[in-house]
Amino acid sequence: MEEDQHMVAAAQHILKALASSKTVSHEMRKTLLDLEIQLSTINERKGSGIKQLERKLKCLEDKVMSLEKNDSVISSEYLKLVGEIQTLQQKFDSLNENWKQKELVQKSNEILQVVMLRLEEELVQILVNHKQYFEVDYMSFNSNRVDLVYDESFGSVEDERINKVSRSIDDSLSEASNIDLVNPSVVEDLKSIAKAMFGSNYQHEFCHVFISSRRDALDEYFVILEIERLSIENMLKMEWQSLNRMIKKWIRAMKFIVQAYLVGEKRLCKQILGDFGSVYQYCFSEISRSSVLHLLNFGEAIAMGTHTPEKLFCLLDMYEALEHVAVDKDFLFIEEIDSFVTREFHNLQRIIVETIKSTFLSFRNAIATNPSKKCFPCGGVHPLTKYVMNYINALVEYGDSLDLLVDETSIDPSDSNDENNYENSTLSCSPLACNLRLITTTLESNLCNKSKLYNDVALQHIFMMNNIHYMVQKVKSSNLCNFFGDLWLRRHVGMFQHYARSYEKVSWSSVLSFLRDESLSNCVTERKIKKKCKDFSAAFGEVYKTQTGWSVPDKELREDLQISVSQKVIPAYRSYTGRHTSKIDEKWIKYTVDDLQCYILDLFLGSSKSLHHSHHRK
Amino acid sequence: MPATTENNQGSFLGRISIRRNQVMSMDGSHDQELEDLELFQKHVGDRFSELLSSTTDDPSNDALLSIGWLRRLLDELLCCEAEFKAVVMMGRDPSQIAKPPLDRLLPELLDRVVKSLDICNAVTLGIDAVRNLQRLAEIAVAALEPRPMGDGQVRRAKKALNSLVAAMMHEDRDCGSSKGTERSRSFGRRGNANKDRGGGTFRSLSWTMARNWSAAKQIHAMSSNLAAPRGAEATGLPSPIYIMSTVLVFVMWTLAAAIPCQERNGLGTHLPFPRQLSWAQPMISLQEKMAEEWKKKEKKGSVGLLEEMQKIEKVGQLLIDFAESFQFPGESERLEEIRGHVEELADICRKMDEGLEPLQLQIREVFHRLVRTRSEFLHVLDQAVKLSAPTV
Repeated sequence: MEEDQHMVAAAQHILKALASSKTVSHEMRKTLLDLEIQLSTINERKGSGIKQLERKLKCLEDKVMSLEKNDSVISSEYLKLVGEIQTLQQKFDSLNENWKQKELVQKSNEILQVVMLRLEEELVQILVNHKQYFEVDYMSFNSNRVDLVYDESFGSVEDERINKVSRSIDDSLSEASNIDLVNPSVVEDLKSIAKAMFGSNYQHEFCHVFISSRRDALDEYFVILEIERLSIENMLKMEWQSLNRMIKKWIRAMKFIVQAYLVGEKRLCKQILGDFGSVYQYCFSEISRSSVLHLLNFGEAIAMGTHTPEKLFCLLDMYEALEHVAVDKDFLFIEEIDSFVTREFHNLQRIIVETIKSTFLSFRNAIATNPSKKCFPCGGVHPLTKYVMNYINALVEYGDSLDLLVDETSIDPSDSNDENNYENSTLSCSPLACNLRLITTTLESNLCNKSKLYNDVALQHIFMMNNIHYMVQKVKSSNLCNFFGDLWLRRHVGMFQHYARSYEKVSWSSVLSFLRDESLSNCVTERKIKKKCKDFSAAFGEVYKTQTGWSVPDKELREDLQISVSQKVIPAYRSYTGRHTSKIDEKWIKYTVDDLQCYILDLFLGSSKSLHHSHHRK
Repeated sequence: MPATTENNQGSFLGRISIRRNQVMSMDGSHDQELEDLELFQKHVGDRFSELLSSTTDDPSNDALLSIGWLRRLLDELLCCEAEFKAVVMMGRDPSQIAKPPLDRLLPELLDRVVKSLDICNAVTLGIDAVRNLQRLAEIAVAALEPRPMGDGQVRRAKKALNSLVAAMMHEDRDCGSSKGTERSRSFGRRGNANKDRGGGTFRSLSWTMARNWSAAKQIHAMSSNLAAPRGAEATGLPSPIYIMSTVLVFVMWTLAAAIPCQERNGLGTHLPFPRQLSWAQPMISLQEKMAEEWKKKEKKGSVGLLEEMQKIEKVGQLLIDFAESFQFPGESERLEEIRGHVEELADICRKMDEGLEPLQLQIREVFHRLVRTRSEFLHVLDQAVKLSAPTV
């Protein structure tokens, strides 16, 4: 049928052209035109031709009008019509271009526009009504990590349990990676609408609506994830606690949005628009761009703040979060289309790394310059020591990341750990380990300065002993031992033992000197013995009064020290009093050996006592 | 586009560093420093003079506040910033930078820098909004290009253009009340005979900065404490700091005036620029020109000085008028005229397509550069504090 129509139309065309030629005779012209009219009537008689198409078109128009009046019509009805309109339009295109044809074409376009408008509205409704929401609660994490902010009043803080931000988010996210952002049952409808609109050259409208709607959906998640939009100015003024909370939310959001949500979004775009080339990538890019940039901007604002040591852990968490999403990010954002976003990601990573390095450095500087103004009462473990050791203990949880990040150039050349090479653990040679040892060396220096504040040299030694011992204990009892190695441990054990010995010497040698005879025992006069006894008692009393007020917090260390002191004092006392029993008056001897033993056990408990003579008279 | 920027920067910095190295005595360096400061002033004046004259001399150049012109403006900002850093920081003892009155002036400048960062972000969002408008214009072009022009196409174009014009208004007007996800969706109601009023999705893309953040207020705050150094200060370091601050305020004001960004209603049209200083003259002229336009637009109720957007608005309105009165088949003369406008619109869209992304990238570059500069200055100030503090 159609070929016939074409033939007829072609013949008509030729006839008309021939008829209008100047060279043809009048009679010929008449014949040609007659033929043309006959051909026209053939067409009309055969019922195929413009009239029929016109009727078909009118039919469609009526259908559309009636659909419009009916609110409950769904898109599939319209989609059918689109097909019919497109078929008609193809037929129109093959007709002669005359006034009638133009009229038909424009009419069909008019109807098409109505249908497209309807489809567009339908599209919006479907997208809005069939959004799916996901519980983000199971992705909440518990961070038991105590915020390590240094505070002089930390005096009573004992070793806190440091738990890293739970890494369980990652596991739960792998379950979420296949989320359907839109109810799967409507995807086919969406695809059909896309096909119809793209096929009718209405792809701009489709994309516009699609992108807007999906962008809004993504924005809603920012509210769910409690990501506030703040200006950089305000963020720089925020106090640390609030900032800390926001960073945690940011990490959660970054992981969820990139690994779960956007992966789902891209999949959705591909499902619906995959048949149309790279359009789906462009749409995805437009949908995701500003939200991702917002997340990245937040990260930059954090990096701009002051580099105080307590921020290091958050920065490390942020760094690890970015590393974590790197693979997904590379899949989602293609260099050619999303160069803006990929560049900003890299930029943020770079900035975070720089900030981490700088913060790490400022941590060390903070230790070095920690002021020593007043001496720490009782010579116990200084809060700075606790802070630093707890801090680095928490740091090594990030061992893998930090190793890549720490500054290799700051390694102290004198920190030779060659002897560690024969050990199994190569960790102790890593850049991180070297940096940690540098930190503890810095700490030791500062502690040394602090110890000089004590007037009493013995107390200086006690102070150093306590602190070095604390450091050793901390290293031994945690992962830090892998980083510090045996050599460091041996050296530092030797160090605190050395301080203990120095203390004993300084404190007790003068006291013990009273228990010695300058000459042979026979020649010692009673008067001398009496004086010596009294001097000893007085000296011991003094030491007792002072040193009960000193503190050695570690039980084992305290007992060891007490035993060591006892082992010096008791035998000397016993032997002295034994030697001169005959000459010693009871009145001169204030304490028995057992008494002394008891009193020595009072030492280093941190509460000053004094001896009463009555105590002896039992 | 000044492709020679890098070279200029390089040679200028090269000259300064060579000079600094050559100078041995303290006295000699003072004269040289004065010379550097004067050169900086002169360069700033020259740059903006260039920007000013380009808008008046050759019509084929980028018009004032077109995308192309804005990109050149940002280039100049980057150049000024680089020179500024070289003049103030290079080879200088940190303690010089920390003593009065710089101990007050520098933090003020850095505060302006932080505000500028937020403005850059707001403007970046604004460009997304402009891109959105471009898409709507493209729909209108796609509708009106094919022949014959029929009722259906014209209606299609009209819907897109109405959305476009409404969106432009919306960017600056009613957004004060819209928050977060509350978006007004008004759709052509089913059964509504007047299909032409198909609603668009009125989403204000540029209003996603922090709540209560206002571009107008930020710029006002930035400019409120701008005061030209007087007396001895005018020949010392306070001078380049003042110049840089002024340049920063000017550029940020321009960006906010051109591109939709959150709450720019109430953008002050008067900036406290020093009328008596020669280097400031071109800037003042430019600013006055733009302020004129701003006031005009404010009265009409629509704002947005970006040249391409203004054109779209104008052509869009013409096309809407045409669409209202169109009946198939239409007069061929009128149709020809309209096709001309459609071609114009297509042309603007093309320009936007080519220029908006690079513009965004440039603003981003400015952002990063400002962040870097700020941290460098903070570092220097920090060093100065450490050097002057008593050792523990």
